[in-house]
Amino acid sequence: MRRVGIVGAGITDCRSRWVEATYWDLFQQATKATLEDAKVSTEEVDSVVYGIYNDIFEHQAIPESSLTGIIGMHHKPGVRVTSGGATGFYAMRAAIMEVASGYSDVVLCVGGEKATDCFDPISQTQTPMVIDTIAKSWDPFFEYPLGATASDSYMQVCMAYNDNHPNDINDPVVRAKIIEMLCRQGNRNPFGQRRDETVTAEQVLESRWIIAPFLRLLEVCMYTEGAGGLLFASEEKAKEISKRTGSPIIWVKGVGAANESYNPGRGGSYKPLHRIESDRIAAERAYKMAGVTPKDIKLVELHDAFIAQFMVTMGEMGFVPIGKTRSLIDDHIMADIRELGDNDAPKKGQLLINPSGGLIFGGHFVGGSNMFSTWSARREMIARNIRYSLVHGTGAINAVFGGAVVLELEGGV
Amino acid sequence: MVLKPEFNLPKETSEVTGKDGKQYLQFNTSMATLYKQTYGEHSRFFFALKEARLIGSKCTKCGQVMVPAATWKCPMCGFAEMKEVTLPHRGILAQTAPITIFPSQSFIGQAPFCRGYVDVATDAKVASFLPSRLKTTTGIPRPGVFVKGIELKLVFADERVGSILDIFWVPMSEIPAKLRKKEPLFERELDFESPKLPKIKANKEFKPAYTSLMQLLKEMSANVARSKRSQQNLAGKKYRVGVKTGGGDFTFIIEKNKMGVVAGVAKKTDFIIVAEDPNVFIKWINDGSLTDAVVEGNLWLPSREAFIILPTLDRLPRSIRRDLH
Ligand SMILES: [Zn+2]
Repeated sequence: MRRVGIVGAGITDCRSRWVEATYWDLFQQATKATLEDAKVSTEEVDSVVYGIYNDIFEHQAIPESSLTGIIGMHHKPGVRVTSGGATGFYAMRAAIMEVASGYSDVVLCVGGEKATDCFDPISQTQTPMVIDTIAKSWDPFFEYPLGATASDSYMQVCMAYNDNHPNDINDPVVRAKIIEMLCRQGNRNPFGQRRDETVTAEQVLESRWIIAPFLRLLEVCMYTEGAGGLLFASEEKAKEISKRTGSPIIWVKGVGAANESYNPGRGGSYKPLHRIESDRIAAERAYKMAGVTPKDIKLVELHDAFIAQFMVTMGEMGFVPIGKTRSLIDDHIMADIRELGDNDAPKKGQLLINPSGGLIFGGHFVGGSNMFSTWSARREMIARNIRYSLVHGTGAINAVFGGAVVLELEGGV
Repeated sequence: MVLKPEFNLPKETSEVTGKDGKQYLQFNTSMATLYKQTYGEHSRFFFALKEARLIGSKCTKCGQVMVPAATWKCPMCGFAEMKEVTLPHRGILAQTAPITIFPSQSFIGQAPFCRGYVDVATDAKVASFLPSRLKTTTGIPRPGVFVKGIELKLVFADERVGSILDIFWVPMSEIPAKLRKKEPLFERELDFESPKLPKIKANKEFKPAYTSLMQLLKEMSANVARSKRSQQNLAGKKYRVGVKTGGGDFTFIIEKNKMGVVAGVAKKTDFIIVAEDPNVFIKWINDGSLTDAVVEGNLWLPSREAFIILPTLDRLPRSIRRDLH
């Protein structure tokens, strides 16, 4: 296998709705930003991987076909990846494999979503139809007819976790403090959807319930319209491009993925409801491939559907003990951005988590959310001289899809 | 009908303002497709439900049981044959179940409802869980009812059409003793219409809160009469809602765009709601939410009809604040 490096990244502004642009233009914006960042022309790109989650959102069954020409990828191989919330991660994995295998030297990985054109004529708002469109990710025989939604389904896992590990994720004050910290981080993201918002722990605790006792309105990720791109290159090509740009290469050190069974159950190959095994296995595989342990990692960009799941995932990936994930706050493991400023790395024993603001404050254009996370990880690694970071993705009913990528900064310490 | 009649938009293109202040266009359209959806290998499961039986598939090699039978070839044993097994009409709730308050478009009007995974093949060492609706005979679902490990009784809808909604589960503790072993048990044999009011004791400690609540409600009624937005909120609504609290009772009378309040539970009410602590309503008046009180389990409601009027009441404090303060 060949070494693979990231040599460019670019994202669009994250907005609740873009009436100025269709997803065609959003993908072009992201492609342009990525290639400009890498000082690479479209001719130098060998192939493209698209991350687009849901045909119903895009309102086109082969959405990537319309993009080929307008993003300059004509006469090149192009493959679309769609894997629920983990679409971005799996698209990145496909792009990385393409370079690692020697099939291509330079691969563009671009993902995004146009999500909020969906409209509910009865309430005259978008949200119920957006939720319904996502709910169509469930099967039509057993789960969808029951009224399953994305937040209920992830919440189910958190409630089962709480059954087995009481007094951890159920402390609303701990969750509210995490949100307050994420909000401050999101304020620093020049493309972040909620960069102008201030949310305090008190406001979180007073916001409306979505699902008691773990989910208030201000604990939930957003729907975002936008797109994000990454440029992956082989070692030789990465070094050449890096000289051109003057930006250090971010090496892909480890990639881990694991999907659990769709069916929850007891024993065998069934999904245990109280764990997110997909996250655990994916992270363990990524660490093994990279030759690192969680202790080596200083920066995490985590796919946070909402805060209770953020905490469970941090436990599954080995940063804090399962059952004691509240130590993120209690033991000050989550670094305070006010202390770090723009250029400092977290202190020993601390972690910078979701400096982008995550999916709750930064942006969540589903097909490219994990590219958004990787864009942020790269930016922060370079600015703070952080050697190792981890990017996480999750998706599908009951969080059964999991992915993790360990990144290394060239020359980082 | 598969599609609701109001589930449509006029054919039109309209203007919409961008973040840049310029005008853009949007057009009404849809991506709806109609299906005659194949049940295929799942047909057996749904035929059984129509006959008021619950079946699963059991591996002839390892003995694991799948319910519903997602497959008839065991994926753990090189796709060995799985045989049909009849399952008991009782199960254990595998995890504390979430209550859906804000459903997706297709389920608006059904909330709040409860879904969860039921461990049915408890005798098998390895088994899948059945995703199901959970219902209680004690009012609308609230926290503390569907918690991990409770025993459940399978109930069949009176009319069955071959859908996962042909069945649901009720806590065994709510099933009358003489019906607990009955298989199949039908919805019509249980009383969902008239849930028993939760018993609350008169509590001296809540008396002062009740007294100030009655004063606040009086002021609120007067404010509604002066607030145009509140009157719009109440337009066309007519309810008499009895309220029991640990500090004392009262009745909301909503009619003619007005909100009246009288002490005690009136003789004629549409329904009665119960909160042990009168502060639930004081919090509401101070820009809180009765819906939240329900979600937190502090306000008991007998039915979905009672739940549906809460958003109207929840708008009142905000409307008053905007019009008068
Ligand atoms: Zn088997």
